[in-house]
Amino acid sequence: MTRFIPPVLGMVLALIALWYVAVVPMNVKEVLTAAERAGVAVSPPSAVERRDMGNWALVVRNTHALGDSWSSDRPKLPAPHQVLVELYDSTIDEEVNGRRGIVKSGTLSNRSLVYHAIVTLNATFLGFVIGTVLGVGLAVGIVHSRVMDMSVMPWAIVSQTIPIVALAPMIIVVLYSIGVQGLIPKAVISAYLSFFPVVVGMVKGLRSPDAMQMDLMRTYNAPTSAVLWKLRLPASVPYLFASLKIAIAASLVGAIVGELPVQKGGLGARMLAGSYYGQTAQIWAALFVAAGLAAVLVWATGWMERRTLRKMGAKP
Amino acid sequence: MNGLSLFASWLSACVANWLFSRIDKPWVPYVVPLVFGITVLILWEQAVYKFEIPTVILPPPSLIAASFAGNLSTLWGDFTQTILKGALSGYIIGCGAAFLTALLVDRSDYLRRGLLPLGNFMAALPIVGTAPILVMWFGFGWQSKAAVVVLMVYFPMLVNTVAGLSETSAMQRDLMRTYAATWGQSLWSLRLPAALPFIFNGLKISSTLALIGAIVAEFFGSPTQGLGFRISTSIGQLDLGMVWSAILVSALSGTAFYGLVALAERRMTFWHASFRGGR
Amino acid sequence: MKQTWIAAVAALGMASPALAADEIKLQLKWVTQAQFAGYYVALENGYYEEADLDVTIMPGGPDIAPTQVIAGGGADVIVEWMPAALSARENGLPLVNIAQPYKSSGMMLTCWKDAGIEGPEDLDNRTLGVWFFGNEFPFLAWMSHLDIGTDGKAEGSVEVLKQGFNVDPLLQRQADCISTMTYNEYGQVLDAGVDPSELITFKYEDQGVAMLEDGLYVLEENLEDPAYVDKMARFVAASMQGWKWAEENPDDAAMIVLDYDETGAQTEAHQIRMMGEVAKLTAGSNGALDPADYQRTVDTLLAGGSDPVITKQPEGAWTHVVSDAALK
Repeated sequence: MTRFIPPVLGMVLALIALWYVAVVPMNVKEVLTAAERAGVAVSPPSAVERRDMGNWALVVRNTHALGDSWSSDRPKLPAPHQVLVELYDSTIDEEVNGRRGIVKSGTLSNRSLVYHAIVTLNATFLGFVIGTVLGVGLAVGIVHSRVMDMSVMPWAIVSQTIPIVALAPMIIVVLYSIGVQGLIPKAVISAYLSFFPVVVGMVKGLRSPDAMQMDLMRTYNAPTSAVLWKLRLPASVPYLFASLKIAIAASLVGAIVGELPVQKGGLGARMLAGSYYGQTAQIWAALFVAAGLAAVLVWATGWMERRTLRKMGAKP
Repeated sequence: MNGLSLFASWLSACVANWLFSRIDKPWVPYVVPLVFGITVLILWEQAVYKFEIPTVILPPPSLIAASFAGNLSTLWGDFTQTILKGALSGYIIGCGAAFLTALLVDRSDYLRRGLLPLGNFMAALPIVGTAPILVMWFGFGWQSKAAVVVLMVYFPMLVNTVAGLSETSAMQRDLMRTYAATWGQSLWSLRLPAALPFIFNGLKISSTLALIGAIVAEFFGSPTQGLGFRISTSIGQLDLGMVWSAILVSALSGTAFYGLVALAERRMTFWHASFRGGR
Repeated sequence: MKQTWIAAVAALGMASPALAADEIKLQLKWVTQAQFAGYYVALENGYYEEADLDVTIMPGGPDIAPTQVIAGGGADVIVEWMPAALSARENGLPLVNIAQPYKSSGMMLTCWKDAGIEGPEDLDNRTLGVWFFGNEFPFLAWMSHLDIGTDGKAEGSVEVLKQGFNVDPLLQRQADCISTMTYNEYGQVLDAGVDPSELITFKYEDQGVAMLEDGLYVLEENLEDPAYVDKMARFVAASMQGWKWAEENPDDAAMIVLDYDETGAQTEAHQIRMMGEVAKLTAGSNGALDPADYQRTVDTLLAGGSDPVITKQPEGAWTHVVSDAALK
């Protein structure tokens, strides 16, 4: 593990340095316009002329007016420290010092990313459970029935080529029409994304016992259900966990996608709000929280995997 | 049309498929899913009439087909804008860049250990958050869509290619060394061929991601053409036939794209265990 | 079936004291913000409760079409723009306007002055940002009024961009003009440090192509039921009470909206300003639709050039039955 730390740290530092440099050309047009308004001479003086110029050319010609690049209000690319400040403001600061924060009001503030992360996690978990159950069920069916194998599998693949973001608002409206609101529509979308990796992995896993093991079961005259419970399912556990790691990340993405049209909180709603008001630092903060959540969820699944496999007698 | 006939069509299709699946002929794997698909369509059509589902909630397949046939030129324009310009260019750039990075990573262990964990983190950034940012950076045209696609396909492709390049055994590499093969020669004649199954796996995953990425990006700003634009605008006009036609185009192109890559895989990795029979 | 049941319950309710308040689900057109202050005020101040109504307000979001929600039965009444409602009506969804809290339109086109735009005729051969999803109709009608095509940047035509949810296309000069609302995006442009003197705006209201925004729409078939009309009348009356309160107390109304915003994205300053601008648009309305405004909207839509939004004069697309009962 430790041998990974220096290179990762090196990469992160390199990336941050690159990021700081990139902030200058990315924001140069807005920064120059602001400087022009503040009375600083910039060249060329008209925003219309600047529009058609390259960013680097503008940087080179206006090095004196770029001081605000790392602190502009509406940056195209916020500087890393701006994102960090936003992260701090919208988590710890909001909860501790905010009027609605947990310290003053006793409940999590709806302006804090902690609250929104929990909203998203709820939908993620429900969707993950639905997706996993559905996926395992389908896989068991596919392994035992040639008809299902041939008819369901190709369509499961096709289902993943449909852009879920396009479908999400319609899924939500259809569920509205049968009176379902709140958590479930988001969970359905996240289940849609998470069932597929489970199906693929489980089919592989349930078929993983080799011929000798299957023959042994046959000599015992074991019924299909016993073969499933005593041989196929235990054999499929490593495959199941491998797919669960993909599925939980997919569930998170699904929940976020579902929050976009619903706008009742969650990281997805937060990202849209950031985009809506041009607060790029807000989008980045929500993005990092989402990616962090994904990392934690995948790690937790991996931890369960190691524990389970050890209990089942696998060598570490 | 009543519940009984709904049930009857379902049952007959089940029986038909069950019978088909007993036959061991090369056309069976194509016919069975087709029968299944057609059954779903028939059930869908019947259910819409039976339960009087409003067309604006779920249009029957017949309406979608009519809408599809009636708007071929519009849909072709959307296809060109989204798939050919946005998705395909992004796919080529993204997969190409990932491949070159993988070669670089392959030469430097430091890069590998630093870049891959970071890559996993970056790959977890949800696209609905990154797409508006990229649209802001690269404008409303196909360029921003291609950028979203590059970001989406880059890491799966990178991870797979890197894994593929370390697929050869020490003995094989030693053999190359005894031949005094250069890094390039050993790459070309041993390690690349060995990595092909992994590379194709990456290409296949990327092919569906590319399509989804291009369409999603259009939700955050686009010219007045493209599949994402069409879907969103047509919902606003309650033209659900058009919405589903656009979804159909994306599903068809996604499947075809995936199929093409899978076909190329078969041609180029015929020697691999997964294509030499077995279960 | 469901309706007779509801009617029976309503009849019982008239005979004896009501057992439960009538439920109403209201689908908004967009996210929780001061644009819908009247409804949130009515909810918060208990006007709905006094009218024996149990109102659920459902915020909208990107790609949630209120017309689609009401068609599926997910809402009883929706807030929608008239062009989208009339277009849905012509597509077979019989929506009826029962009240019009917004008297005037808040939509405009905001352009950079230094791009050389002085009048509507200068819009030719430029790149313009427009909202779609039902909000493109006024723009298309205006362009056809000006005899400008929308097929790309060329002489006699404009390049149209589907703008996203923010004002960045203007600030970053990806477009010469973008659509803004007086109460929302225009303020965001100013917030970004732009001086009003740098901009030139074309209000649809001034260009003679304004269309009615944010009316209340229900399904036609329900209006045959007197109990339903009564319920809606109470709803409209309470909502208008909310609107008038919001107009008089813009700061407090903005705070109420903030409390209902589950995303926590709205800020006080922004909502107070929005409420101030919204109040100007709702000021002239007592809730009843002005037939002259309606006719102007329809005429503008019908004149929509080669590809009109609606092709024939709508029949029965509005009614005073509810607002008359509400204003009694």
